[in-house]
Amino acid sequence: MRLNFIAAALAASALFTGIAAQADQLADIKKKGELVVGVLGTDEPATFIDPKTRQIVGYEVDLVNAIARKIGVKPVLKQIAVAARIPELQQGHVDLVAAGLTHNKEREAQIDFSLTTFVTGQKAIVKKDSGITDVPQLAGKKVLTIRGGTQEPNIRKAVPTAEVVTFDTSQQAFQALQQGKGVGYVDDEAALLRSYAKLGPQKAKYVVLKQNLSTEALAIGIKKGESGLKAVVDETLRELEKSGEAQKIFVKWYGPNTASGFQTRDFKLESDKID
Amino acid sequence: MPLFDYSLLLTGQYHDMLVAGLLLSLQLLAASLLLALPIALVVALLRLSPVAPLRWLGFAYVESIRNIPLLAHMLFWYFGAPELLPEGIKQWLYAGHIEAYSAIIALALYTAAFMAEDIRSGIRAIPTVQFEAGRALGFGFMGTMRRVVLPQALRVTVPPLISQTLSLWKNTSIATVIGVAELMYQAGQVESATFRSFESFAFASAAYLTVSLAITGLATWYHHRFPVRTI
Repeated sequence: MRLNFIAAALAASALFTGIAAQADQLADIKKKGELVVGVLGTDEPATFIDPKTRQIVGYEVDLVNAIARKIGVKPVLKQIAVAARIPELQQGHVDLVAAGLTHNKEREAQIDFSLTTFVTGQKAIVKKDSGITDVPQLAGKKVLTIRGGTQEPNIRKAVPTAEVVTFDTSQQAFQALQQGKGVGYVDDEAALLRSYAKLGPQKAKYVVLKQNLSTEALAIGIKKGESGLKAVVDETLRELEKSGEAQKIFVKWYGPNTASGFQTRDFKLESDKID
Repeated sequence: MPLFDYSLLLTGQYHDMLVAGLLLSLQLLAASLLLALPIALVVALLRLSPVAPLRWLGFAYVESIRNIPLLAHMLFWYFGAPELLPEGIKQWLYAGHIEAYSAIIALALYTAAFMAEDIRSGIRAIPTVQFEAGRALGFGFMGTMRRVVLPQALRVTVPPLISQTLSLWKNTSIATVIGVAELMYQAGQVESATFRSFESFAFASAAYLTVSLAITGLATWYHHRFPVRTI
């Protein structure tokens, strides 16, 4: 929590410095010749460090590289923490944030979002002997998840009477599920399937519920009011979609031959509107 | 976009979350304080006991608790200790508010170690002649303590105990790590939902400050109202 507090202080100072600097960010990026992008670097396969090359690679990296190419500058990736994503962007330490960022209404007051770059479902996993086979059956039950993301508000929306308990890391939350401190565990589908795979022979005791709790629209974060930069980001994404490149990038990181194993791609890079 | 959006703090869903967090923090404070005080008194008496093994027991309790960070205690009482219980009790506990119970146990045991030392110092501040006088009148160890020494010692002890209560109040924020939805937890939740970091943590800071100042005020008032009697 202390980290969050620092983030809060950063955010506060960003609010004040933000007013002073009104220059066009796109022009600045072209001038310095590089596009600095904040990424998590720990979020396989969106952005993660390739064990062989020690470089940050992934789905979001490919998109960002395309944007830098379009502007005609060099992409520079900077690893940032989840809580620092918005302060870093507002302070101008990074030009864009491509860090598993969920686009929601509340956040629109703080920053702008690109076209939706990924749509993911959040799912629940339960112990088989709990007898739960359907999301509504989680009503009145204790459900565990990670803190700081959109998992908690989403489970509350899907099952308002569920008692939600959250932890700093998904490992802790998953541990609590294994100890029986809750009947279900909720996470993004890709992350959930990875935790599930780690169970090994224990897998037989657990079931991943089919139904999605919510659909999350992920997008690239852009500093509020930088319309020039947003235009070029959106244009790049639209072009990727049109040329079929977006489909290829998706299959490369999330397709049937990857650990994520998505059979189909159910979204297109076409809109920055969310429900 | 306003720089500081008060409306978020005054009404609506996020206001409710923050207030719920504050109330739970106050409940944690009250429950762990009520539990810690008697434990502290017993441990202080153990440490002053004429029986050596009892003194060692008190010493072991204070030192083993005081020298491990509260964070570790918290994680132990949530992830570790309950796993050692028999299956039936475990199931029953896990179905209830295990998070809050674990937090209260960790906070109470931790605070009790510090409070025990304050109470012991208070008792030691009472001149030994008082104790001897009690024994001369025919009271036993416990009788002398209860009728002669403790009434004087507790008056000396109250200001440091209130200061420990202040620490306890601030320490309730550590319960966040085991998923207790107290004030710091809710501030984090509001932040992640809205990115209004400044507002949510300003609320939390103001709430901690207000309650802390109230506790400090209580200490000052007590000190004036019931000054230590000149011995």
